[in-house]
Amino acid sequence: MNHSVTAHILILQVYLLSFLLIGGAHAWAEDFNLNVSGHSLLAAAETSPETSAKTGNSTWEDEENWEEGWDEAETIADPLEPLNRLFFHFNDKLYYWVLKPVARVYSGIMPQELRISVGNFFDNLLSPGRAVNSLLQGEVKDFSVEVTRFVLNSTAGILGLGDFARDVLDLRSSEEDTGQTLGYYGLGGVFYIVWPFLGPSNVRDSLGKIGDGYLNPVIFIDAESEVTFGLWTLDRVNYTSLTLGDYELFTETALDPYVAVKDAYQQYREGQIKK
Amino acid sequence: MVAMRIYCNYLCKLSIFLLLAAVFFLHGERTSASANDAMTQLQKSVDAILVILQSEELKVSARKEERKQLVLELVNDMFDFQNMARSSLGQTWNTLTPEEQNRFVGLFKNLIEQRYIGKIDSFDNQKVVYHKQLVKGDRAMIYTDIVDKDLEVPIIYKLQEIDGKWLIYDMKIENVSLIVNYRRDFESIIRKEQFAGLVDKITQQIEKSETPN
Repeated sequence: MNHSVTAHILILQVYLLSFLLIGGAHAWAEDFNLNVSGHSLLAAAETSPETSAKTGNSTWEDEENWEEGWDEAETIADPLEPLNRLFFHFNDKLYYWVLKPVARVYSGIMPQELRISVGNFFDNLLSPGRAVNSLLQGEVKDFSVEVTRFVLNSTAGILGLGDFARDVLDLRSSEEDTGQTLGYYGLGGVFYIVWPFLGPSNVRDSLGKIGDGYLNPVIFIDAESEVTFGLWTLDRVNYTSLTLGDYELFTETALDPYVAVKDAYQQYREGQIKK
Repeated sequence: MVAMRIYCNYLCKLSIFLLLAAVFFLHGERTSASANDAMTQLQKSVDAILVILQSEELKVSARKEERKQLVLELVNDMFDFQNMARSSLGQTWNTLTPEEQNRFVGLFKNLIEQRYIGKIDSFDNQKVVYHKQLVKGDRAMIYTDIVDKDLEVPIIYKLQEIDGKWLIYDMKIENVSLIVNYRRDFESIIRKEQFAGLVDKITQQIEKSETPN
């Protein structure tokens, strides 16, 4: 008899506990809604319309930014415009005459699955840099995610060819880099630069690229510069093969492609820094 | 002992009742929230487009034009082109006559179509993931990802509710706002060649895609 009583009380307790847990998780989700948007657990919770409808009013943190935040990205100074336009033109021709044909041949040889794996491999090499930059920006959680991602993907993901951490554990990269860290500490873009071969950048992100170079594990293999250049080229060709058509569509439907790309770069980077 | 059993029975029933009530309550809330929900509406429209894009019968080259028209029809229903054209022009909009404004809305619509219709041909079973929506009065922001060959491209839609219908008036792809980008592009033309120059440029641009390449 006593047995059945305790059993029933236990069941009730489980019910109550699960209610509390669901409620608690929900409140937690609402609290961190904006900070960790799209992150692991929450992504699932927030796909259902009813939760979002409720969070809509209660967690509107950047209320003032509703209108202004969207249009905030400022235009960047461009004192080098004539030179930048020259290099933009050069890179554009490089894309159509070299990169695109090569990427086409490459994607004819390499099956898509393999190209995705190659992309993952290069992406995985950026993890240490992302980890360091997350930490420099005080994002301890992102730091641990990046470290976990790097360790798991380099081992279970076989040298980073698979994104095990994302596919199995839903651990997503924070996409941080040194340019963003400099931005986080208040350095603006200063002015726009188009590098030949490398494409759109600015003073801050060019400095950042140097930092990123030192944070890439490739530096430890102490390879000849030809090898490093070869790896970089493979990365570029591989990425291009996965995004064929995007560049063309964007630049060919812009009225002044140089201006459209400059603004897209500026908005893209500002968005990344704010995140 | 008997009292114990009754009590226990009571607890059991109560807990079942609570559970049922909770399910019923949550369910009721869901239906009321989603009736005119921005995300539900967007999802419906996007799904309708995906059905057309995935249809094997429409993929044959003979029906290419029909496929394009079907998609455009749905797209026209989702966007507030008047609003988008106005904000992409900024201050210049107010200096125009109503006729000029109308003509510009048409041109702007064609320009957008040109950019995104190219995507129709390269459609390759991309998936759309809906993350969340933020609603404030008649405005909503919907956070989504397009998963394309394992790459996730974040897209945020900005919508306004007009007569019970949610219409898109801007979208951010990888943080880049479509309207802001066009505004910068248009500004640079207007600065050098005024509004008339802009109209010429857009007209030429649209003609470029109409000639078969």
